[in-house]
Amino acid sequence: MKHLVPEFEKLRERFPAGFESSLVLPCLRRIQEDRGYVADSDIEELAVFLGVPQIQIEEVLSFYTQFRRKPIGRWHLQFCHNVSCSMNGAENVLAHVERKLGIKPGQTTPDGRYTLSTVECLGSCGTAPMMMVNDGYHENLTLTKLDELLQGLK
Amino acid sequence: MPEIFINGQAIEARDDQTVMEVAREHGHFIPYFCWHPQLSVVGNCRMCLVEVEGRGLDIACNMPVAKGMQVFTNSEEVQAHRKAILQFITLNHPVDCGICDKAGECTLQDYHYEYSGQRSLSHDEKVRSTKFYNLSNRILLDNERCILCLRCTRFTHEVSKSMALGVERRGDISNIRPVEDRPLSEDPYSDNIVDICPVGALLSRQFLHKSRVWFLQPTPSVCPGCARGCTVQIWHRKPEWKLKALDPRQNENIARVTPLDNPAVNGPWICNKGRDLAQMFERARADEPMLKGRPVAVPAALDEARRLIGAARHPVALVSNWGSNEELEAFKDKLGEVFHCFVKQDWQPQPGERIEDDLLIRGDKNPNTTRARELFGHAEPDFKDGTDLVLVWGEGFDFAGLPPRARIIFLNSYLQPENGHADVFLPVSIQTERHGHYTNFRGTVSAFEPCFEKKPGVLHAEDLIKALAAPARGHP
Repeated sequence: MKHLVPEFEKLRERFPAGFESSLVLPCLRRIQEDRGYVADSDIEELAVFLGVPQIQIEEVLSFYTQFRRKPIGRWHLQFCHNVSCSMNGAENVLAHVERKLGIKPGQTTPDGRYTLSTVECLGSCGTAPMMMVNDGYHENLTLTKLDELLQGLK
Repeated sequence: MPEIFINGQAIEARDDQTVMEVAREHGHFIPYFCWHPQLSVVGNCRMCLVEVEGRGLDIACNMPVAKGMQVFTNSEEVQAHRKAILQFITLNHPVDCGICDKAGECTLQDYHYEYSGQRSLSHDEKVRSTKFYNLSNRILLDNERCILCLRCTRFTHEVSKSMALGVERRGDISNIRPVEDRPLSEDPYSDNIVDICPVGALLSRQFLHKSRVWFLQPTPSVCPGCARGCTVQIWHRKPEWKLKALDPRQNENIARVTPLDNPAVNGPWICNKGRDLAQMFERARADEPMLKGRPVAVPAALDEARRLIGAARHPVALVSNWGSNEELEAFKDKLGEVFHCFVKQDWQPQPGERIEDDLLIRGDKNPNTTRARELFGHAEPDFKDGTDLVLVWGEGFDFAGLPPRARIIFLNSYLQPENGHADVFLPVSIQTERHGHYTNFRGTVSAFEPCFEKKPGVLHAEDLIKALAAPARGHP
């Protein structure tokens, strides 16, 4: 986290003094973007930097499921399995990917390339079923589309 | 001064008040779990909802008063929603009152009987979570019983400022958790969270499975742990529930100590030292008078003490600052002329103890230094040449500091090696065996009441002082 401190200092200027706890969320997001996950050492260092108790950081981390405490694969596949996607065959496409990669949601392939997750609505119901790969949306998924896509992810 | 109406009663409220505060002041009871008069409002339990004409249902704890508002605390709609809220709160509650220490003084239990009485309507199995989670060396946490009112986390953030607790995860898998960097065991006020927990989630290890609370009664008392003099309740076995078989010693033991809400001194809080008064009071007790270590009857010891006082030319008294106002005044009145008196500090701060802070704890670890100093001055004990008799009242004085030739009269409650070195040793009663008052560092006087009977060989210091002042019998 140390190398992000100058960035956090700039961020801090945008908040009134005494609002250090409001910085927890943006700092954690930046840390995860940088490292890929939030390590225990990050929590300790951030608590010291912001002068907040560690529990406050743990609270935020454990509340938002988007935060990760362990490293994940290079490609993070997040399948929506909410109502619209489900009705349009999300389970089908997910099962296909599970078979292909040999892992279940929540797991990472042994080579560290893919991590599979299921998530709730990503706000793209009009183009269901859909998933996110890292930060990009992939919509109107079909099995052939998926196969092509996976070939492109090395 | 907006005028509001609660259940039809017109009430003049202050602008800064909430409906909850006004209702409580005027005797309209509104049930609540998460609200606490000394903590911030979070409004998460929803138990205190009331009906406001034209506005529907809302929570009273977070509702500022407004001119002319018509509040109903017990309308049909309120009753129906209360029942629904309780159903929601008890959805995953284990209802293990039979083995829960809180049973009998549990808010959830009371409200359930009063307002709901339903079983959980959940079709799913109740959420299982950690039981007997080790929060600190003093407190256990049962997450299944917890209703997440967050009083404990707010207490550690707002009152004791240890920041030791927080909530991890969310929804029905939320858990109260401590963090390593600020351990709860280092919070000297931690046990208050056991009191303010409205359910049996936070449990005192000292009191765990010790007694059902309905077998106990509280006696108002004053904590002698420091010069703050917090008012406390000392809980002990009710006379009608005296144990005859099992372990009858329990009848004379302190079961637990809780704060006695007192805005003038300590509010609703006390520190952990106050909870541990049993450790102080239940040390081995001296229960018979002695002459140079040889046990004698009370009259013989009194006679000898009177003879020594009568024969002394320069007697000095070290007066205990654990004496009550009444005892100190009796000493001043009866023996103040006879002795050259100094105030003795019975207790010093112990290793590891918090010395002083902004909340309650004071550096002077004695209860009545204020009154003792008013009566006997501020001078440190000083033995001039020719001191031939020293009366030492109370523990904590090293006899090596006494003039070598002086005779010693010693008044003490506990079994200590010094007792045998005194020419006359007289055992005196402790605070839990007598009435009295202490004056705290601000001059506020608080009363304590007896919980237990004293032993026959033990004397109340006040009686003892009067007896010593009476003329000696059988001696010139």
